[in-house]
Amino acid sequence: MKYLVPISFLFLSWLAPLAHGNPSESERLNRVIAAAIEAIYGDCCIDKTAAEKQAMVREVIEAEYDLDVIIRRAIGRSWRLMAIDEQDRVLELVKQLVVKAYVKGMNGKERPLVEVGEAVPISEKRMEIPSTVILEGQALNVLYRLGRMQSGWQIYDIVTEDISVVSNYREQIDDHFRKGTGEELIVKLEELLSKEDIDENIRI
Amino acid sequence: MKIYGFNATTALCCGALFTAGALFGAEADFLSEEDFYEEEVAESAPVSDPFESINRYTFQFNDFVYLNLLQPLANGYQAITPDPVEESVNDFFDNLKYPIRLVGNLLQGRLKGAWVETGRFVINTGSSLGFMTPADGIEMFQAIPSEDIGQALGSWGMGEGPYLVLPLLGPSNLRDIGGYVGDRTVNPLQEPFSLIDDWAWEVRLGIGLTELTTASPALLDRYLQLKGAAIDPYSALRNGYTQYRRAAIVE
Repeated sequence: MKYLVPISFLFLSWLAPLAHGNPSESERLNRVIAAAIEAIYGDCCIDKTAAEKQAMVREVIEAEYDLDVIIRRAIGRSWRLMAIDEQDRVLELVKQLVVKAYVKGMNGKERPLVEVGEAVPISEKRMEIPSTVILEGQALNVLYRLGRMQSGWQIYDIVTEDISVVSNYREQIDDHFRKGTGEELIVKLEELLSKEDIDENIRI
Repeated sequence: MKIYGFNATTALCCGALFTAGALFGAEADFLSEEDFYEEEVAESAPVSDPFESINRYTFQFNDFVYLNLLQPLANGYQAITPDPVEESVNDFFDNLKYPIRLVGNLLQGRLKGAWVETGRFVINTGSSLGFMTPADGIEMFQAIPSEDIGQALGSWGMGEGPYLVLPLLGPSNLRDIGGYVGDRTVNPLQEPFSLIDDWAWEVRLGIGLTELTTASPALLDRYLQLKGAAIDPYSALRNGYTQYRRAAIVE
């Protein structure tokens, strides 16, 4: 069952983005990581509810990065199978799902240590940045892939111990659209978000 | 006039070139969103899953068992066991899996890996019976990625075969089931091919249950985390397992 370590961490790492290629990108990423962790573990936030922490984490991330990019990559071609209003709703619900799972997943765990490596340029428009996250005594390699979009450098995939989060979500969404519709996906996501029992049990 | 005509033509050409250059230059500056969003993912992991309907039932059965049997077990164990003890017991059982890692390395011709695993086993066993990992502090014997017989079979070029969800054990595939049987063969504590024949079944059962109990908190936490963030937990686990195994074989 050792495969569960990176798979489970895959979802925790979703929101710990980083960027580099130049020092300012690296600093930007470190800022975001530190702020997201602070929003969960900081003295300022001990008494905050889970929902408040989720809102803070999302605000911190979205101040620097466009989460739509990685989620659109995860949706892939299935994007075309949805109406415009469904696309917007799915984007929003996936963001909520991921943020919620992230915050709940970190709850009760030790504050993670994150070490960000140097950026490796892949091309003029792509780069990769390796990092190591130590969580609960376990060191995991997390690779961030960034692409230069019109809106600047954006994270388009996160690879935890060789498992790509975009590949993982894309398969889930592709599977859904083999038989289901956009509307059904929305219903499913809303159900998942309303399931408190799942979240309350998570103590990674 | 000729001069003027030349200038006009030149200006026209230059203008066109400039416009084209600007356009191409603008495109070259950043990724085209539509193409980018739809391009194949490097780690895309198409999986042969001809038994999906059966696998999904087994997945649901496992889910029920994990939540209703494993979870109380994990909660109880965690409640009565201090963290350092938990960690030590996990280290102990991990140390006992040395033969699997050794054979996995040897079958792939990874002599250095076999050497490191052997060194770690000797150091950890000699100093603490495997309850601690002092080898982590020695540069030459720091932990390396774990190898098993399924990985060895993959490195020999054997295809993974259909994806399978095994009752209680979870995701696997035909090749990894073969590897799993091999792992048990070289594991001195486990049936069906245990090398220690004179141990009573009660002893083996006790060891197996203890190992499951000690591993259950971490396994369950991870499983719940996976479920909490997944749109389709079955697909998420299938994809994650396949990506993980493929990468382990390539490495």
